[in-house]
Amino acid sequence: MPRISPYAVVEKTARLAEDVQVGAFCYIGPEVQIGAGCVIESGATITGRTVLGEGNHVFPLAVIGAASPDADEPGRCVLGEANAIREHVTIYSAAGRETAIGTDNLLMIASVVGAGARIADHGIFANATHVDAGAVVEDYVRTSSFVMIAPGATVGAYTMVVGYTGVDRYAPPFSMVQGYPMRVRGVNTENLKRCGFGQDDIRAIKAAFRELFNGTAEFAGEKVLSRMLSDDNVHIRRLAEAVRRGETGRRSK
Amino acid sequence: MTALSIVREIDPSARVSPEARIGPSCVVGPHVTIGPHTELVRRVVVSGHTTIGSGNVIGEGCVLGARPQDLKYKGTLTLLVIGHGNRFGREVTVHVGTETGGCVTRIGDRNRLADGAHIAHDCYVDNGCRLGRMVQLAGHIRVHDGAVIEEMTGVQHFVTIGRHARVGPRTPVRRDVPPYTSFYSENYDWDAPPAVRGVHEAGIAAAGLAADEEKELRRALRELFDDEFALQTKIEQLVNMGVEGEVAQLCQFIQRSLRGVYGRHRELYRGKVPPEAYPHLPPELRPAAGRNVP
Repeated sequence: MPRISPYAVVEKTARLAEDVQVGAFCYIGPEVQIGAGCVIESGATITGRTVLGEGNHVFPLAVIGAASPDADEPGRCVLGEANAIREHVTIYSAAGRETAIGTDNLLMIASVVGAGARIADHGIFANATHVDAGAVVEDYVRTSSFVMIAPGATVGAYTMVVGYTGVDRYAPPFSMVQGYPMRVRGVNTENLKRCGFGQDDIRAIKAAFRELFNGTAEFAGEKVLSRMLSDDNVHIRRLAEAVRRGETGRRSK
Repeated sequence: MTALSIVREIDPSARVSPEARIGPSCVVGPHVTIGPHTELVRRVVVSGHTTIGSGNVIGEGCVLGARPQDLKYKGTLTLLVIGHGNRFGREVTVHVGTETGGCVTRIGDRNRLADGAHIAHDCYVDNGCRLGRMVQLAGHIRVHDGAVIEEMTGVQHFVTIGRHARVGPRTPVRRDVPPYTSFYSENYDWDAPPAVRGVHEAGIAAAGLAADEEKELRRALRELFDDEFALQTKIEQLVNMGVEGEVAQLCQFIQRSLRGVYGRHRELYRGKVPPEAYPHLPPELRPAAGRNVP
């Protein structure tokens, strides 16, 4: 039996796995599914058509699946496994746009995830990060406090977004981005080391960054890009693809 | 009028003073101590080994004593100690300490924390400080007496904010802020690098210094921060001339910051128990003496 506080409100049709814990003053809506090992702490609200995978930890007063202010009704909101949703975090949903969060993410205090945003795995989002509606965040991304990821913008894998930055277009993978308008400030070597990249890979990525983002001009010549697209190193190919995609998609967002 | 029953969840082993007021929908965990005349307004969640003194007002939706966001924290016994006469706004969050950072988060007396302020693990906020809306303090920070941090400012870990200093709104603080100074970005543009840009007049007034001491302090501040690149040499000159009182403390603060890592003196406490933690640690948590002197 799930351990539900006598003060919690859990709708009859909500589907909770066997060992789910629900704290006092929580509200679990009628179309919610919660996987095994989830801990929902006091005062959290889970509504909409929300699915939580296994081992998620929802901290006090977080709200998951609430209807986005611009939507008429709540929609689907899917969380993978082992995410930590800290205090006062809000994850919105909207009918027709699925909000998807992968596995092992840490959304720190007062972060907001807009309706239709897609967050991949292993991300760490510091306090008051705003991932706006429809934004895409790839694996192993780190953000500092007060970061805003604009609607529809994409943050590439392994990227660090420095505090107060507004990501208004494609932030390339492996990079450190800062400022508003956003600028690429270098390679996120610390994160790459922690994620098990070898010295050679890091050196190759750094060399590619020097060619691609030298100075203020962000668009490297087509020649450089096409050479990188057929590079032996898989990371360089990935970077070049991302930059090309970012260039073509920049104005359309 | 009939008295309405108030629904709240207070663990039977929590030590809550009978004179404390716990509002509706509050949750108080098993290891919590709450002193007299403290008011938990509504929807307040207090967990962990948290001690709250007397005469505090904790606003709606505050979460105190939750697990730190530090990934190194593995659930050991750590403390949060809150003093007396503090006023917390809505949705303030304060975390307990971590084992690697000294096990204690401490908030002193008479502080004002506005809505959404966050105080992370192992922070020490002294007395009479004012934190604005959504101020985010990262871990291991010390905020000295009477400091003012204005709204939406983020402070990086291991920073020290000096006595009666002021940090402007929306300022990313990455190094120590010297006492009695006003620290903000040019034109309050957060994208410009923040720096010491003047004297915090209200802070000097609040400190209640003697007239000649105030004059000396103003002169020292003017001299030192006229050209910050020459700070190292100027401070040496000043110390060699012989200083006392507030100016001596100011010089000591700046010298310690210059000795630290990236202008942050408290980086030297990384992985150690800072001296501020000792008075709050129960004997069994105290490390062997002498191990932690930086």
